[in-house]
Amino acid sequence: MMEVEMNQRRRRGALAAGLALAVLAAGRAAAADQGAHGALAEAAQLVRLERMMGTRPVAPPPGYPPDVWDALIPADNELTPARVELGRKLYFERRLSLDGTVSCSTCHDVSRGFTDQRPVAEGVGDKLGRRNSPTTLNALFFQTLFLDGRAPSLEEQAKLPILNPIEMAQPSREATMAKIAGDGEYAALFQQAYGRAPNYDDLARAIASFERTLVFLSSPFDRFLAGDRKAISAEAQQGWALFNGKARCVSCHAINASNPLGSDNRFHNIGVSARHQDFEALAAKALAVLKGAQGQAGLEAVDRLALETDMSELGRFLVTKDRSDIGGFKTSQVRNVGVTGPYMHDGSLQTLWDVMDHYNKGGEANLYLDGGIEPLALSEKEIDAVVALLLSMTDDRLADDNRRLAAQQRARSRSNRPFRDDKLASRRVLPFEARVTGRAGKEQ
Amino acid sequence: MTRTLTALGLAVMTTAGGALAAPDLVPLRSADDAGVEVKLCDDETTVRIAADTPKTRAEGQKIADALMSQWQQKHPEQDWVARERERHAVTPPADNSGLVGKAQGQVYGQVTPLDVKTWERETLAMAVHGSTVFHSGDELGSTIAVSCDMCHPDAANTHPETYPKFQPQLGRVALLRDMINWCIEHPVRGTVLAPDDPKMRALEAYILAQRKGKALDYGKR
Amino acid sequence: MAKWKSVETRWYEDRDALFRGLRRLDRRSFLRVSFAAAGAAAVSGVRFAPHSFQTVSVADAKEGREPFSFAYISDSHLYKRELNDRFVRSLLRAIDDVNAMDPQPDFVLFGGDLAQLGQREELDLGAQLLKNIKAPVRMMVGEHDWFLDMGARWRELFGKETYSFDHKGVHFVVLQSVNEADFWTRRGMTPMERMHTVAGLDNGIQSRFEVGAPQREWLKNDLSRYDDDTPVIVFSHSPLYKYYRNWNFWTEDAEEVQAILRGFDRVTVIHGHTHQMLTNRIGNIHFHGMLSTAWPWPYAPEGLPKLTVQMARPDPFNPNDGCGDGFATVTAEGLVDKVYNLWNRNPVDVPSAYLASGGKKSRPQDPSLASF
Repeated sequence: MMEVEMNQRRRRGALAAGLALAVLAAGRAAAADQGAHGALAEAAQLVRLERMMGTRPVAPPPGYPPDVWDALIPADNELTPARVELGRKLYFERRLSLDGTVSCSTCHDVSRGFTDQRPVAEGVGDKLGRRNSPTTLNALFFQTLFLDGRAPSLEEQAKLPILNPIEMAQPSREATMAKIAGDGEYAALFQQAYGRAPNYDDLARAIASFERTLVFLSSPFDRFLAGDRKAISAEAQQGWALFNGKARCVSCHAINASNPLGSDNRFHNIGVSARHQDFEALAAKALAVLKGAQGQAGLEAVDRLALETDMSELGRFLVTKDRSDIGGFKTSQVRNVGVTGPYMHDGSLQTLWDVMDHYNKGGEANLYLDGGIEPLALSEKEIDAVVALLLSMTDDRLADDNRRLAAQQRARSRSNRPFRDDKLASRRVLPFEARVTGRAGKEQ
Repeated sequence: MTRTLTALGLAVMTTAGGALAAPDLVPLRSADDAGVEVKLCDDETTVRIAADTPKTRAEGQKIADALMSQWQQKHPEQDWVARERERHAVTPPADNSGLVGKAQGQVYGQVTPLDVKTWERETLAMAVHGSTVFHSGDELGSTIAVSCDMCHPDAANTHPETYPKFQPQLGRVALLRDMINWCIEHPVRGTVLAPDDPKMRALEAYILAQRKGKALDYGKR
Repeated sequence: MAKWKSVETRWYEDRDALFRGLRRLDRRSFLRVSFAAAGAAAVSGVRFAPHSFQTVSVADAKEGREPFSFAYISDSHLYKRELNDRFVRSLLRAIDDVNAMDPQPDFVLFGGDLAQLGQREELDLGAQLLKNIKAPVRMMVGEHDWFLDMGARWRELFGKETYSFDHKGVHFVVLQSVNEADFWTRRGMTPMERMHTVAGLDNGIQSRFEVGAPQREWLKNDLSRYDDDTPVIVFSHSPLYKYYRNWNFWTEDAEEVQAILRGFDRVTVIHGHTHQMLTNRIGNIHFHGMLSTAWPWPYAPEGLPKLTVQMARPDPFNPNDGCGDGFATVTAEGLVDKVYNLWNRNPVDVPSAYLASGGKKSRPQDPSLASF
């Protein structure tokens, strides 16, 4: 009797396994298909995600100070498995966009460093945005979200791209919720997660909860910090000394136990905007508008200008209206940079060597340049060392992507270094000199 | 016909003070008047005086001053503590004279005035050495001729009483010497000092001396 | 609800409240809206750029004097560029700022200490760089320019160190206020040793700054030609009052100089040397300090004028913090509204109304991070 049952069970098991295999095969075939807007199809992304995340319990990273972890989680959105599961489903949910082509995972693609590896984002109707998509990896550690810090939390951040006409293009919160209103599965998940009917705020909370599980801080660099001298190469170790010394990265990208990202959460004008032809004219215009229409009227006028004109380059200034924030953008994390190119707020720097060239020559002189940006006089070897360090900061689970992309960047950098300027880097010509004298450097 | 006199110099050498100007000695009667050669105890430094110079204390002091002046010019560094203190005020260390006559246990080993003087002199000398390094781009190894006192006159705004403290831009909890080294590396653009480098120790001594009396408040930002 | 509210959230909430109020505008909601608007503006900390700032006051018909502005760059402390590039870069940045001002100032004052050690090559480098300023430049000498060769090269490059000129009804006087009683001869110092001594702010060997009797005599004569309702603006490197003796934030004959100036109704002194925001008023004389392009000084342990609202503690990790340039608007009355253009910070206004009211009106904002 038992044996027959067991045989039956075994047969059923085999059948199930066979079916599963068939599904997987179909899945792999589907994985070969790209999703919309250059993203990998959601199903394939989920497979990769599962492989990387496994079924780890929802908990702070090992060794992370528990009270600091606590401070990262808002009181009304305690982290529970139900909320994470709902959030994960929503993160990959294309119905949240107007035409059903864009989900969060389109621009924050699991297979592309949880960003899109493009200069600027592409959304509904193939419209291009103005700014580079930051990665959702480790985003939970930031104090503000978006490159201009206009969202104070992950919850607030999640609400905005859905309603942005260039990204997911929904006309309103109600229209968004209407898209998933009929779905019984969602109703159940929302009930489990928040004990309420589906609503927009909880939708954002759930997505935030899912994002709080995206802790990717397990890299060779972390093992090196923990004491393993062999975890990273000698070159990368030299890079670490430079990071904290001559290259001055630590001034804004300090890494420590309670802030592991490598960002000071502040906003600095490092001169990238200055490469846009009309950046200073825009700044002057915005300031004139503020001065001309004083008080509240001035603030509204700047908002209007921001929507109608290309004032994105003004960065943090559009949020605070402080002159000291003109052209300032949030210090990005240095974690996983190997897989989150291209770099800077407009994605204008393709490789990490370009990034080093930009800093080495002292950024780009403009009236609002952060005073901490100055020529560094780093040699080629030193630049390579810092890049080696940065590449060692990629989480192990993304090691394959890291290797592949690093090789691409290295090859590209050997033939093409558009931002390199040895005269500025070595201080033979000084920043502001060409602007002021109209000549480059001293006639020697 | 010369007579040499020595020993006067000894008494004069112990007085601290600034550079002495050449005093007005009684002039020699004529060019071929040999006069008397007075030699210092270092057996090198001499001064020639008229043979009939009155043997008064005042004249003796003038001779001693002349010898001292010459000797100081030959040895500019010997008097470095006084020279530095003339340029830069260095807060003197605590006054321990109240301990004279006290002892730990037996009478043998009582604190003597010489002990108190020695403690003061040596401690102050370390702080004064720090002052010389603090005020010199060359001593700090600056490649851009910047010295600490450019941003920190009299070691103002150094706040040693607030260390250790977490400094995000250093990426760790910093002691005073870490901040000193950061300043040497960046604003001064020199080479960092080892923590037990005599210059580093002297710099710490000077900075701490200048903030004497401030309450400790570690971690304050 | 999030555990905390960032500046942006509060700002958005205020803004939303304002727009809601605007939609149904009756008298009660109008009042509420006005307060909300004021609140929103305060929260967002609106600051205006000095570059486009223009004085609102129209020329007073009675006075017949047209308001105008001048910019300043001060205390650049140049070494030759092969030795120190950072100070050169800062001066270039200041020149860029001033050239970008729209409208352009009537002239640019250089506030002294062009060179660091009075070397010929330092002064020549400075002169060459300042030639790139579009507006006319008025030079003032500082002690770092003077004490190597006692002003020889300065005079060759820039002319007499003491002079006066008139501009749009205002009488400007430029003094050499960094004379020092001879401390070097009896010590047998070389010119370089003398220069190094003076270059050390806390070096106790040097003497205190003074204008000196001959210059005071010149000043008395120069001013005798003017009615006492003529606005007078004095450019001086040392402050012309006594702030902190040990750092030569001090003019030994300040009282005598002030006595000469006292006869005039409106006198403003613009001084360098202190590398910090400084405001003072003695009698009817207004005093404003200038920023340095090279580095900031800390506030002295004692003697800080009561009217001074300190600048926020400079961040050592930003080499430009606490530095900058600025400009002044000479009002129709002939007093000075001063603007400190601190790099990477919002500009700070110190209007003449603040000094004229003894600190009661138009007080500049207190720093959020005070010195301690």
